[in-house]
Amino acid sequence: MTSPLHKRARRFATMILASFGAFFLLTGVAIAQQSERTREVGKKVRCMCGGCNDSASTCYHVGGEFSGPCGKAKAELKEIDDKVLKGDSDDAILQSFVQQYGSEVYVEPPKRGLSLVAWLLPSIYLVVGTVVVIFVISRWRSRVHHDFAPAAASGASHPGISAAELEQARQRVARETED
Amino acid sequence: MDVFGSFALLLAFVCAVYAFVGGIFAIRTRHPLLVKSTRQAGMATCGLIFIATFSLVYLFFSDSYWVAYVVAHSNRDLSTFYKISALWAGQEGSLLFWSFLLAIYVFSALFAYRNKNGELMPYVGVVLAGVQIFFLTLNNFVASPFKVLASPGANGALDIYTRADGNGLTPLLQYPEMVIHPPNLYSGYTGFAIPFAFALGALLARYPGEKWIHLTRKWTMIAWCFQTAGILLGAHWAYAVLGWGGYWGWDPVENASLLPWLTGTAFLHSVMMQEKRGMMKVWNVWLVFLTFMLCILGTTLTRSGIVSSVHAFAQSSIGDWFVGFLAVIFLVCLTAYIKNRDYLKSENQLDSIVSRESSFLFNNLILLVSCVAVLSGTLFPVFSEWVSGSRISVGAPFFNKVNIPIGLLLLALTGLGPLLAWRKTSTESLKRNFLWPLILSLVFGAIVFALGLREFYSLICIILCVFVAATIAMEFFRGARVVRARTGLSWISSTVDLTLRNTRRYGGYIVHMGMVLIFVGLAGAAFNKDVQKEMRPGSTLQIGRYNLLLQNLDSRPEKNYTAERMIIEVFENNKPTMMLYPERRFFPTNEESGTMVAIYSTLRDDLYVVYAGQSPENQTPVIHAYLNPLVKWVWFGGAIVVMGTLVALLPNRRTVLALAGSMQPAAVTELGTVLAPSRTATLREGHD
Repeated sequence: MTSPLHKRARRFATMILASFGAFFLLTGVAIAQQSERTREVGKKVRCMCGGCNDSASTCYHVGGEFSGPCGKAKAELKEIDDKVLKGDSDDAILQSFVQQYGSEVYVEPPKRGLSLVAWLLPSIYLVVGTVVVIFVISRWRSRVHHDFAPAAASGASHPGISAAELEQARQRVARETED
Repeated sequence: MDVFGSFALLLAFVCAVYAFVGGIFAIRTRHPLLVKSTRQAGMATCGLIFIATFSLVYLFFSDSYWVAYVVAHSNRDLSTFYKISALWAGQEGSLLFWSFLLAIYVFSALFAYRNKNGELMPYVGVVLAGVQIFFLTLNNFVASPFKVLASPGANGALDIYTRADGNGLTPLLQYPEMVIHPPNLYSGYTGFAIPFAFALGALLARYPGEKWIHLTRKWTMIAWCFQTAGILLGAHWAYAVLGWGGYWGWDPVENASLLPWLTGTAFLHSVMMQEKRGMMKVWNVWLVFLTFMLCILGTTLTRSGIVSSVHAFAQSSIGDWFVGFLAVIFLVCLTAYIKNRDYLKSENQLDSIVSRESSFLFNNLILLVSCVAVLSGTLFPVFSEWVSGSRISVGAPFFNKVNIPIGLLLLALTGLGPLLAWRKTSTESLKRNFLWPLILSLVFGAIVFALGLREFYSLICIILCVFVAATIAMEFFRGARVVRARTGLSWISSTVDLTLRNTRRYGGYIVHMGMVLIFVGLAGAAFNKDVQKEMRPGSTLQIGRYNLLLQNLDSRPEKNYTAERMIIEVFENNKPTMMLYPERRFFPTNEESGTMVAIYSTLRDDLYVVYAGQSPENQTPVIHAYLNPLVKWVWFGGAIVVMGTLVALLPNRRTVLALAGSMQPAAVTELGTVLAPSRTATLREGHD
């Protein structure tokens, strides 16, 4: 039979072991997270070697050390890792790189200032293009009432050249070409 | 041989100038002898470029290490196979290679139409000679590949000297894809010169209508096919060689190859509007102009150093030449258009918004928006530096965010467009064509959602892929059913017969099916995983269902490099599956390293293993393993796209005649009535 003293001692020992276990487990997790976090932040920071367009985490460019980040990208990752270990936030780490290299260090342009233009342009193209297409469609449709009906009657559909000239040109093409 | 090649290039330049100037006089005077002599000068130009190119190849094979270009890009131990690819490894050689491929196209066009289209061809010949003059100017006077090594001698004259060996070819180019990727891509770039020359020639000759499109349709498709194959081979090279686990990084040079492909794709669709309905003539002319200009712009970006890229050639002033050439092309096109635009007016009107015509307009809109978005993203760093003094970089995440929705819109139109009728689509027709594909795709979407697919774009992509595949499958099924009912052929034979009877339409569907497969592959990229680990022999690494056991490392000397490789046993769900051998190679000639990625590829995913070097701290080997779902579908889809384009290039089989031998006359008449499309039926058909 186990005495209450023994029970307390075993419970205490279990708690100590559990605490150690939790400490090592959490430390391990923390290290793993830091490493993963470094890579994630590294994906937001450009490799500044000048020879590629990659992020520090994905740099494998020509002239870099084979199959891995080049020296510059490695140095950037090390710097990120140090700041992560110090407890800096992602934003603070990014800002420290912007202070060193300027806004060129962003892999993805930030959505403010001049960079915002880069983000807005595709939407502007889409809107303007859609307006143009709608305009073209409506013009083509209205041609039923304006261009073609009177043109058929008057025989002149193209203001720059006469219908006769256009027909002559068509006949010339038919004469001059063969598939 | 270097003198021979150099002289051939110079003579080619003289011939091209004669073809250009003489061609202009021939157009003015219409003197038959002058027309003939300028055409022959154009063909002679091409012959001389062939001679110059083969001279350079011979210099590589004969290890002529007194020629600077050969010294820079070859060495004695380089295999014969890669001595061919050394031709385009540097600036000078690749420009000669441009001229060579352009010469093949020019010669083919001049020869094929030597007795045809007598009034139009002098214009075409002049435009092509103009393009050739530009490249021959670079080949002769700016970036000659035949420069020799020379040093000042005792009497002050230059003495030619020979090196014992060359510097070798960049390791990254010593891969099989690099022998076929650049020729394909360059064939795409140069091939668009032919439709460009016909379009500009027809405009200068004041040709109304779509005649030039009839003449150049196949040339455009050939160029597009090469461009597609070139882009995909480049992506595969990046995937198999660079060791970063991806195949498209939105690098400026990758973007540059995509731009003319996008406008070329838009053109291949909008030409149908001009052929069938006499519409979009101005648009088509400008699309061809734009496509060729984007080919030149792509080359400018690669060679000027305007944007930083892993692919770019060394920074040089050659970019200024290309910018100047681009400006000249634009001004000539603009002038020709302003002078003769009256001949490009549309002949028809739009009857309904729900029609094939509208779908083509939106298809062109989306392709052009994608093109302009990629172009502006690529050039934004230059623009921002110009405006604010600091360069704002635009990387892959930006291009992904912008282009994924655009790509999905395009995918949706791939399903919708071909089944809409010309002029007007009835509600009944919409229901007949789209109801079942819609139901099928939604049911499939619900199933994959229930199975746990939550990534928004991937889910939409998969739904759209099923929708488009179902619409295409229905088209084949309906057509094959008619053929089968009339002929009694098997389903497969009926489908083949149907396809060969209207190659353009069904080839187009095959291309669309290939695009669907590519999109399936792209959807998988959202679920890529990777693990990096230091490993000693005997240690293991787990990624997904695979367990990798590093058995050992070994080293083997090869002729041109030394390979250090990992020997890895792969277990799938704890069952031994296969061996993988990722390598790192060291090339002593140029003291550079390269990788050879080991890939175990299945339709489900790719296990992609890189020997990522040794840890700097303890020299332990490092392995980087990726699990990339569905990548194989991208390559498979690409092959289908190329195959579909080749089918579309085939001439149509004359069905009634082909079948006549096996049928009674009455049946032939009946079949002829069914298969010979009436005007209305033709207008309702798909890609023909």
